[in-house]
Amino acid sequence: MVFLTIANLIRCRGPDEFWRKRKIFRLAAHYIGRRRNCYSVAVRNVHHALVYATKARRLKKQDMKDLWDTRISAACEQHNITAFSMREGLERSNILLDRKSLSDLAAWEPKTFQCLAAVASRKLHLDGFIDGTDQKAPTGKNLNLDNVILDDWLKEKK
Amino acid sequence: MSAAKRVQQWATFARTWHIFDCKWQDPYLSANVIKKYLMGMHKPIYHPMNDCGDVVVCINSRDIALRGDDWRQRAYFHHTGYPGGASWTLAWEVHNKDPTMIIKKAVYRSMKGNLQRRHTMQRMLIYPGEEVPEDIMQNVTNQIRQLRPVPTRLDHIPEDEVKKYPKVMEYPEDYVLK
Repeated sequence: MVFLTIANLIRCRGPDEFWRKRKIFRLAAHYIGRRRNCYSVAVRNVHHALVYATKARRLKKQDMKDLWDTRISAACEQHNITAFSMREGLERSNILLDRKSLSDLAAWEPKTFQCLAAVASRKLHLDGFIDGTDQKAPTGKNLNLDNVILDDWLKEKK
Repeated sequence: MSAAKRVQQWATFARTWHIFDCKWQDPYLSANVIKKYLMGMHKPIYHPMNDCGDVVVCINSRDIALRGDDWRQRAYFHHTGYPGGASWTLAWEVHNKDPTMIIKKAVYRSMKGNLQRRHTMQRMLIYPGEEVPEDIMQNVTNQIRQLRPVPTRLDHIPEDEVKKYPKVMEYPEDYVLK
């Protein structure tokens, strides 16, 4: 075993300066150029990096949430249901899945997700729930634009 | 269904070719739709670092419809980089010069500016008319739904159908039609 610090301890027994700077240099070890060699530049960059790291802990969660939302809305679109009404339908049928598990199901178990979408839309159909967000982007049964699900819902007896 | 069959997916990572008819479509609204297919955001496996985008073939880009007075009002900015190199071109001038330019710029601007954007744009093919080369057309397997139905023009409806249409009243004999 090699003790690298012992050599330094013998060399520098005086005031704290060496060790104080060393802590910063350790954090700046992977930087390039003067950012890792000059203390005054290194300490500025290390402080910035630590601030970024603190902020990123929240941003990472937000990024994952956005990614899951993108995936869920993509999968919902394949089954002619908006992400909004999917969420509402699942909640009403007491299937309490979060974004992460829903997007995992959408990517890895598409058939399960398809069943969930069917459950949600059936539940909304039984409840007589009309998705207001559908009005602008009609989701027809086939490519005929005149055939809009919303109109079918309104015509049917509830 | 067995566990293996349940999770089986065919051609998940395949590049699908879509076709989009720009006729009478707003380029800035349809850009958001086209972008979704180009970047692969319509797939549940989407990830920004994942090369899962599709190819979109846009046809009839000559027949796009801008909102309101945009043909005359909207200006496209260009700068050569030299002093005094700025120029502003109106939308109708750009469209006369190159009928594919407006939809192309609309899609380009709708995407976030990163290193991937120019490569994603390479996957978008635009044709001013309906003629698409045979080798491209044979790849197309899906049509993207238009955002709004193409309106029917009165002078394109057959003469006898117009005559058959029920009238509210007949014009008087001495009424002067402009």
